[in-house]
Amino acid sequence: MRKLVLLLGIVLLMGLVALGAEKIKAGFIYVGPIGDYGWTHAHDLARRIVDEKFDWLETVYVESVPEGQEGAIIDRLVAQGCNVIFTTSFGFMDGTLEAAMRYPDIIFAHCSGFKRYNNMATYMADFYQVYYLNGLMAGALTKTGKVGYVAAHPIPELKRHINAFTLGVREVNPDAEVHVRWIYSWYDPAAAKEATEALIAEGCDVFAFTEDSPTVVQVAAENGLPSFAHYSPMLKFAPDYVVSGQLVHWEKIYEDFLVKVHEGLYTTENLAHVDYWWTLPQGAVELGADFGVAINPAWEDELKAYVVDHPIFGKISVYELVMIRHSQFGDPGITFDPFQGPVYDRKGVLRIPKGTWPSYETLVTMQWAVEGVVGPWPGEPEE
Amino acid sequence: MKRIGPLVFERRLAPTRTAILGYSLLAILIALAIMSVIFWAYGVSPIKAYSTIGRTTLGTRFGLMEVLRRTIPLLLCGVGLVIAFRAKFWNIGAEGQLLAGAVAATWVALFTGIPAPWKIPAMFVLGFAAGALWGIIPALLKVKLQVNDVISTLMMNYIMAYFVKWLIYGPWRGPTMRGFAYTDLFPRDAWLPLFKYSKVHWPTLLIGLAAAVTAALILSRTRLGYEIRVVGDSPDAARYAGISFLGVSLWVMLLSGGLAGLAGVGEVAGIHHRLLEPDHVSLGYGYTAIIVAWLARGSPLAAIVTSLLFGLIFAAGDEIKVTLQMPFQITGVFNGLILFFLIGVEVLLYWKVRVVRKEKGWAGKAGS
Amino acid sequence: MGWESWIVDTLRRALAYGTPLLWGTLGEIYAERSGVVNLGVEGMMILGALAAFAVAQSTGNPWIGILAAAVVGGLSALIHAFFSITLRANQYVSGLALTIFGLGLSGLLGTSWVGISLKNPLPKASIPGLKEIPILGPALFRDHSYLTYIGLFLAAVLWFVLYKTRWGIAIRSVGESPATADAMGINVFAVRYLCVIFGGVLAGVAGGFLSVEYRPSWTEGMTAGMGWIVIALTIFAAWDPLQAVGGVVLFGALYHLAYRLQRWFPPEFLKLMPYAFAILVLAVAGLRKVRRGAPAALGLPYVRGQR
Repeated sequence: MRKLVLLLGIVLLMGLVALGAEKIKAGFIYVGPIGDYGWTHAHDLARRIVDEKFDWLETVYVESVPEGQEGAIIDRLVAQGCNVIFTTSFGFMDGTLEAAMRYPDIIFAHCSGFKRYNNMATYMADFYQVYYLNGLMAGALTKTGKVGYVAAHPIPELKRHINAFTLGVREVNPDAEVHVRWIYSWYDPAAAKEATEALIAEGCDVFAFTEDSPTVVQVAAENGLPSFAHYSPMLKFAPDYVVSGQLVHWEKIYEDFLVKVHEGLYTTENLAHVDYWWTLPQGAVELGADFGVAINPAWEDELKAYVVDHPIFGKISVYELVMIRHSQFGDPGITFDPFQGPVYDRKGVLRIPKGTWPSYETLVTMQWAVEGVVGPWPGEPEE
Repeated sequence: MKRIGPLVFERRLAPTRTAILGYSLLAILIALAIMSVIFWAYGVSPIKAYSTIGRTTLGTRFGLMEVLRRTIPLLLCGVGLVIAFRAKFWNIGAEGQLLAGAVAATWVALFTGIPAPWKIPAMFVLGFAAGALWGIIPALLKVKLQVNDVISTLMMNYIMAYFVKWLIYGPWRGPTMRGFAYTDLFPRDAWLPLFKYSKVHWPTLLIGLAAAVTAALILSRTRLGYEIRVVGDSPDAARYAGISFLGVSLWVMLLSGGLAGLAGVGEVAGIHHRLLEPDHVSLGYGYTAIIVAWLARGSPLAAIVTSLLFGLIFAAGDEIKVTLQMPFQITGVFNGLILFFLIGVEVLLYWKVRVVRKEKGWAGKAGS
Repeated sequence: MGWESWIVDTLRRALAYGTPLLWGTLGEIYAERSGVVNLGVEGMMILGALAAFAVAQSTGNPWIGILAAAVVGGLSALIHAFFSITLRANQYVSGLALTIFGLGLSGLLGTSWVGISLKNPLPKASIPGLKEIPILGPALFRDHSYLTYIGLFLAAVLWFVLYKTRWGIAIRSVGESPATADAMGINVFAVRYLCVIFGGVLAGVAGGFLSVEYRPSWTEGMTAGMGWIVIALTIFAAWDPLQAVGGVVLFGALYHLAYRLQRWFPPEFLKLMPYAFAILVLAVAGLRKVRRGAPAALGLPYVRGQR
């Protein structure tokens, strides 16, 4: 017991010393290997960017931490002198909260969860606007009227993305369908491949996905079909076939957060309401299959040739429509939301009334499917 | 007998305790030596690596608690496997039996109205029963239908893992989990008590120690233990003695599966407080327990020591990731190596080496 | 969509997904036929996958990559052979060790190859003539990998060798009764070594197929449990190379249908089928009191002069 008190004392002292010198040591806890080329890869890329950028910052990371083990890893990071700790999996939520209570002098930030505390913030970079933009393009490119979507897990985050994507598809192609397959894994290349092949067999000819590998892009290209990349720059995996996609910039959030900790704006007392929900305007996400390439030039002509009669913009090519919508998500002031009401679910229930935008709560707990989504939808609410 | 130069190798029937201990240590040392090379290749001085690991695992209360926490499931599964291996029943299925126990415990915790003081005992009882059931099936298959035990227990791990996945994505998905694939959190009365400032769920640890002692007594002092040993050492003798293979196999797998089931109860009730992705529950404990049992060489009491050793390796794996910032796969490499050398030195156990000075009688031609 | 397209699509995908399973299973059949179980298939496959990708990417030639995978698979099988044949160690434990070791080592060595798109994946081809057959043509003989065709051909050759040649008799007798084989003048150790190494070579190629054809890139753990399905398939196929083809097509079809039929079936149940089937066929064989080709000396080390 005495030893423990002594240890805690030393730890606290180290923490204070570190703060006094305005040095920050940030620890990152990842659920997957940094080599997954998806979620964890992107977080680690961001960690390296902020680590390079600030000389007052030192970072360490721990990869492949199974859920339920985060508590012990946090203890070790604290013992090592970390004073800011990021945990990057939904399943780390309760463990992070327990740790935040255990170490009131350490700052925690948990990604993708909903529990906060005096010294624990939450953060998320969300893609639903970008998925909607990709949906516009997919709607223009499908010849069969069937767009394939390979999805990892039936959770609100993915349902939101599929819905936003489908709304985009149907805005330019009202009869088109989005066929969904779940692979029940964040990372399972063989499953992603066979799911894509199953969708191809069903007649889908354009693909989007949420999964941690470039499999869908590769399989679509093999069959000569266009696709939209996800998460990491995947243009190089199929330069002729990837139209666009969504990219993440976790470093925007990490930079903002760490700078504010460094400047003393964020303390161990005032994080209970700090929740980053960063999207296009903040630059936390980007439209494109590679950084700086919003739309693959190889596909520009086809998108420009597809002209729709839009209720607001009149006769307009999808290319222009994407550009306009993209700018409407821009800084400052967002003037459009993909879920702008009225939005009905596929059972005909009005989910978002006319003229309103969905609340944050509606977005993060979304369980229903919009019209046009075809396929199994676990957890779909009854009428 | 075999001779190479002045060395004479003699076969012996039963290896001595000293030989077992000595050769096991030798295997571990060789594995550690090879690991040194890998550390060195990664630009980490092996001396620094081992001293850091030693300091952070054995040198602090926190480190020791981490070792203990990792030891619990290894001990329970390991003792069970020792019993099974003693009867030459190759139970590779502790991983699935552990998950079966976790499922049963989750059911009790979330879906029964058992009142508080009885809830945790009920979780252990049903967890044991579920693990035992998952263990008895391969026993029946082996004795009644000659289905290879390695294959059936191995395949049943996957079946149970997919079953758990189905549960958490389907009927058991927690309404408070926002659509994520977890059950709801257990109510507080289904949480196991912990040692202060640690995640060591001591009731499970006590059960594990008691299981080791009980298993040792069963093996050495009871009729069942005698039968298990005879079946394992010499099936022919067992047949002459009229020992029922079915009975022994069922008992052995009931105990082996049941103990692994208890380990599963401990993991969900002590650490996770819910059911989640099977990989994150079992963490390979069931497979590592095979090494634990192998190293214990038929002694449940020795499994206490060997499970501590692998608890230490698990904890050290975490330390290597955090403190030395090395890739996590290094634990896999180490476990693989240690397993190879353990079975590699096995052959030495059954040979006695003697140095002969004088050329004396020619005891027969080379070859055993 | 008519039933023909369902059959064509399902068979096509079954064969494509099944190709690594086929190669792995053929190898394991030979190893087990000689009396040696190798539970290290997963480990050999993943090492093969990494070797194939690294070499194919460096040389620009996927075939050299496959060759490297074969060599690495064979070498890793050599470890298992040494422990289980020469040292007579427990084969199950040695195989498990190989899997644990292979998964760890490939992850450790593979970090620098992550996130790279392979320049030249393995090409596909169609078989002239055969590809025109209705239904079977487009399903089996059009736009498959060369390794798929070679695998099918290999199955036939290996079946022939096993049952119709003296080599086959030697292998089978070593697996059935090593003492008798020894008395007949067959070198038990040599046969077992060769069979285990051959199994490793094929498992390596199976892994290589994954990383230079099926999904041309490297990510750690990319075999994702295929090695264990191979073990199940070996039993399912009753240690017979031709039945292996049938088993592979069935398991592959199940895997594909898990996604095709997702609207009606939870995929978990279709995915656990291969494992359940493996137990089931053994149980049914036991019920009918047939041995189904399981080599009698499977899993037992051979010590000369001991029975």
